[in-house]
Amino acid sequence: MALLKLKAIKKIYSQEKIEVAALRGIDLEINEGEFSTVFGPSGSGKTTLLNLIGCLDKPTSGKIYFEGNYIANFSKKDLAKIRRKNIGFVFQSYNLIPVLTAYENVEFAINIVDDISKDEIKDRVLRMLSLVGLKGLEDRKPNELSGGQKQRVAIARALVKKPKLVLADEPSANLDSKTSEDILEIMMKMNKELNTTFLFSTHDPLVMKHAERKIEIKDGMITKDERGEKVNVFS
Amino acid sequence: MFLVKLSLKNLMRHKKRTIITALIIAWAIFFYITFDSLLIGMNDMVFQNIIDYEYGHIQISNQTYWENKDELSLDNLITNDETINNKITEIDRYQNHAAQLNFQARLNDGVNETPVLGRGIRPEQTFDVLKYKDYIIKGEVFKMGEHKAIIGKRLSDIMNLDVGDYITLLTKTKNDTLNTIDAEISGVINTPNPNINQNLVFVPLDISQNALNLNNKVSHYIVRLDSQIFNQSIVNSFQKELGEINSNFGVYSWRNLDEVSITKAKQSGNVLILIIILTIAAIGIINIVILAALERMEEIGMMKALGLKEKEIVYTFVIESTGIGIIGGMFGIILGAISVYLFTKIGIDFGAFMDMDMTQYGIPIISKIYGGWNPKTFIYMFFFAVFGSMLASILPARWAAKKDPVKAIYRR
Ligand SMILES: Nc1ncnc2c1ncn2[C@@H]1O[C@H](COP(=O)(O)OP(=O)(O)O)[C@@H](O)[C@H]1O
Ligand SMILES: [Mg+2]
Repeated sequence: MALLKLKAIKKIYSQEKIEVAALRGIDLEINEGEFSTVFGPSGSGKTTLLNLIGCLDKPTSGKIYFEGNYIANFSKKDLAKIRRKNIGFVFQSYNLIPVLTAYENVEFAINIVDDISKDEIKDRVLRMLSLVGLKGLEDRKPNELSGGQKQRVAIARALVKKPKLVLADEPSANLDSKTSEDILEIMMKMNKELNTTFLFSTHDPLVMKHAERKIEIKDGMITKDERGEKVNVFS
Repeated sequence: MFLVKLSLKNLMRHKKRTIITALIIAWAIFFYITFDSLLIGMNDMVFQNIIDYEYGHIQISNQTYWENKDELSLDNLITNDETINNKITEIDRYQNHAAQLNFQARLNDGVNETPVLGRGIRPEQTFDVLKYKDYIIKGEVFKMGEHKAIIGKRLSDIMNLDVGDYITLLTKTKNDTLNTIDAEISGVINTPNPNINQNLVFVPLDISQNALNLNNKVSHYIVRLDSQIFNQSIVNSFQKELGEINSNFGVYSWRNLDEVSITKAKQSGNVLILIIILTIAAIGIINIVILAALERMEEIGMMKALGLKEKEIVYTFVIESTGIGIIGGMFGIILGAISVYLFTKIGIDFGAFMDMDMTQYGIPIISKIYGGWNPKTFIYMFFFAVFGSMLASILPARWAAKKDPVKAIYRR
């Protein structure tokens, strides 16, 4: 079943009477467990698309279904509820909370989800941090971590609540190519181990080549949508 | 719980900013507490003045007389007999009492004339109840039966009178016939109570009674108790007992005086200061929340992306501000306590403000003002700081929490 379904999505930003059509009719289906990338040049509408999918923003027109639910007319509060449980975000600028340690930043995401015991929280946070390769760095604050390490914390934070969907908006744009590959490897590993659906955007061809599905977007329209074999980066 | 932890960590994020805002609040509280303390001290002193130099703790007079006591009429007086004098000594906490007779008079020194308040006293009684002894700055106290008078310092200055000078008091008897009291000034009194110094002329009670054609009548009794603390129940129970002798008699505590209620009304000036102070504190808090929100925009966006509700984001800011309120409140009451302690111990010398005519406020001229303790003010101010900070933060916090997450994250 499709986890996500977009139909004729349009997004028009209007600023001071100037209208910018960021998305001009997007039809897209994302299946559970898929590891896909949205790629395209800067300004093509990647961020806008991810924000709409992530329920952070509403489309100007068109329909979005999340797990079959039509969410376009959901209230802010209901959208927050969906995000809280089902969607993890990774941003280019990490967006960690500087006063919290790596552990606490990850804990934050799971703490606000109800029905999880204290022990389980601790367990899952520690396991997740070790999965992203940050074992032993749990007590560091963001300013004591490198860019790559920060992004690992952000990935752990996005994944710790076991969301259905992780959205990563140019997660490696601020990182060197070696670190970018590492980050990507981690995301793919998570995708394999937890069967989490991943959708990430990039304009870096090096990064996008690892993806199982490549969605190209230009001027707010999907111009290509290729499904390939899962690339085994570990070989 | 996690959000509380986050708020407390945010509180320590900009220690300087937090401390400065807390100090603004602390300063405001400190200022209010100090001001309040001095006001209490001032009031206490005014009250003490009234008790010690004018009124005693309790006065007893005819109820009708009391209602129009400023008219100084010679109607509705009390017969100064043994029954009532004995009864008065039975008041709970009784120390001593004095019978007095107030009357209207015009003081004439042979050249000038001025209206004065005449007061017939038994010196050994009145000087027991009221603390005049140390304030006879010239001459001495008269005895009963002597044609002598004691006048206030200011009156003596104005009329240019001195000990040994002769004065005439022109009065009207009860039957409206004119009469005079001739007296030699035996002493000049200068008490810390300006009312006494200004226009009072003391004469022996029997002399005044004779001159006014009043046989053993007095206008009122003043009673000193051995307790400073105002106790309405003593007044009430004595009123009852006295009523059995004569239902026209009234018992009045110093608290019933107009002057006292006026002084209490002055305290409403406090409210204005309180409002100013709260506004300052609120601006401090609003400022800090806005600064923090602008600086943490991406975090707020991230928190929304994580699925935090607006309410929860507001909550983190409110907790943080409340924390500042608590810190400020604590600093404030500590500073306030130090200041009040110093003022109660050392006092503030109003000699420095001698140029101001403090007498019009009933404030003694030759004196220091000491602070008074009022634990309630400390408690109130602490809670004002905490709840004020909390309330002040809600609006800016809501503004921050309402930010569009996309705009917040990308700072668009
Ligand atoms: N808040 C906004 N207001 C106005 N125009 C916007 C806004 N956000 C994005 N745009 C415009 O929409 C287009 C797509 O932007 P975006 O989704 O950020 O592209 P990408 O992420 O691929 O670089 C761009 O032309 C951009 O200038
Ligand atoms: Mg973008």
